[in-house]
Amino acid sequence: MASSLIIGQYVPEESVVHKLDPRTKIVMIFAFVIFVFFANNGWSYLWLTAFSIGAALSTKIKLRYIARGLKPVWFLIVFTFLLHLFVTREGDVLFDIIGFPIYTGALIQGVQISMRFFLLILVTSMLTLTTTPIEITDAIETLLHPLKKVKFPVHELALMMSISLRFIPTLMQETEKISKAQASRGVDFRTGPLKERIQAVVPLLVPLFVSAFKRAEELAMAMEARGYKGGEGRSKLRELEVRARDYLAVVVFILMIVGLFLLRDM
Amino acid sequence: MSKTKSLVANALIAALYIAISLVLEPLTFLSVQFRVPEMFNHLVVFNNRYFFGVVLGVFITNLFSPLGMYDLIFGVGHSVISLGLLILIKRTVKNTTKLMIINTLIFTVTMAIIALELTLALELPFFLTYLTTALGEFGVMAIGIPVMQMLNKTMKFEKLV
Repeated sequence: MASSLIIGQYVPEESVVHKLDPRTKIVMIFAFVIFVFFANNGWSYLWLTAFSIGAALSTKIKLRYIARGLKPVWFLIVFTFLLHLFVTREGDVLFDIIGFPIYTGALIQGVQISMRFFLLILVTSMLTLTTTPIEITDAIETLLHPLKKVKFPVHELALMMSISLRFIPTLMQETEKISKAQASRGVDFRTGPLKERIQAVVPLLVPLFVSAFKRAEELAMAMEARGYKGGEGRSKLRELEVRARDYLAVVVFILMIVGLFLLRDM
Repeated sequence: MSKTKSLVANALIAALYIAISLVLEPLTFLSVQFRVPEMFNHLVVFNNRYFFGVVLGVFITNLFSPLGMYDLIFGVGHSVISLGLLILIKRTVKNTTKLMIINTLIFTVTMAIIALELTLALELPFFLTYLTTALGEFGVMAIGIPVMQMLNKTMKFEKLV
C-alpha cells in the first residue's frame, strides 16, 4: 500500500531547477508548450530536444527515472508515429512494407510529431518532478493574484488546494480500507455484469462521502474556532522570492527561443 | 451554510475525486474505460457550489498526469465550460433526472475539447479521436445518473455545502 500512497512525482534533489522559484518554472514551461509548436524542421526540433535534455540533466534526477515516468505515453507516441507513417502520402516513395508504400514526407512528419509530443511531456513533467505540490499551490496563488480584481476567489482556491493535497493520502487509505472491507463481504468490483459492478460501487461511495463530509465539518469548525475569516490580512508561512538564478533562467530561455526562430528559416 | 464549511467540503470533494481515481482501477468494459470519479460531475446538479470541488479535483489529477500541464489546460477547460453550461441550464430546467441527462450530453459533446487537444498535439484524425473519448465519457456519466441518485438518497447533497 505504501507505494500507492505516493502522489505526484516530486523527486527531492539539490539542483538549480529545484531551487528556481516555482512561478519562474510555471511561466517558462507554459511558454515552452506554446513555442514547441513553432518548430518546423529537423534543426529546430534538434535544438528543442537538446535544450529539453539539457534541462532534464540539470535537475540531477536520473534520466532512467524520468523515462519510467513517461512509460504510460510511449504507446501513444509509437501509435501516432505509425499512423502518420502509413497515412501521409507526401514526397517520394521510400520503400514498401508488405504492399504499403512509405513516403519520405510521412517519415519526416511521423518523426516530427512524435518528437513534439515527447518534448511536451518531458518538459511539462519537469514541473512536478522538481516542485512540491505545496510550492505549486503557492505559485498559482500569486500568479492568479491579478484575477482578484474581477472578484475571482484566488485565496480560497489556493487554500482549498492545500487542504485537498493534505487529505488525498488520508482518503486514499480510507478508499483502500473500505474497498477491502467490502470485498471481504463478497463485493466484487472486477468481474460480473456491468450493472452489478456499478451497484457494487455504491456501498463503497456512501461511507467515503460520509467520512469526507464529517472531516470537512470538523475542520471547518476548528478553523472558525481559531478565527479564520478568509484571506484579508492573513500572513504567509512560506514567502516566494525571485532571485538572480530566476533571471538567469529566463535569459537562457529567451536565448533558446531566439535560437529556435533563427533555426526555423534554415 | 458557513463559507468556511463550503470551502473545506469542496476541498475534500476534490481530495476524494483524486483518491478514488488513484486507488480504484477504471472499470473497463469492451475496452472503453469508465473512470468512476467522473460521476462527481453530477454533484453540480444538486448544488452549484460543488463546481469548485469538482474542477479542483480535475485540476490536481491533471497536475500529476503524465501529459502534465498541456493536459491541465484542456482538462480544466473542459470541466469549467461543461459545468458552466449546466449551471446556466439549471435556471430553466429544475428536474434532477433531466438535468443529469443534460449534463451527460453536455460532457459528451464538449469532449470535443479533449479530442481537439489530442488532434493539436498529435495531429490524429479529429473524429476518430472524438468518438473514442466521447464514448467513455458518455458511458460513465450515464452510469453515474442512477449511482448519484442512489447516493443522494442517503447523503442529501443539496444541503451539504
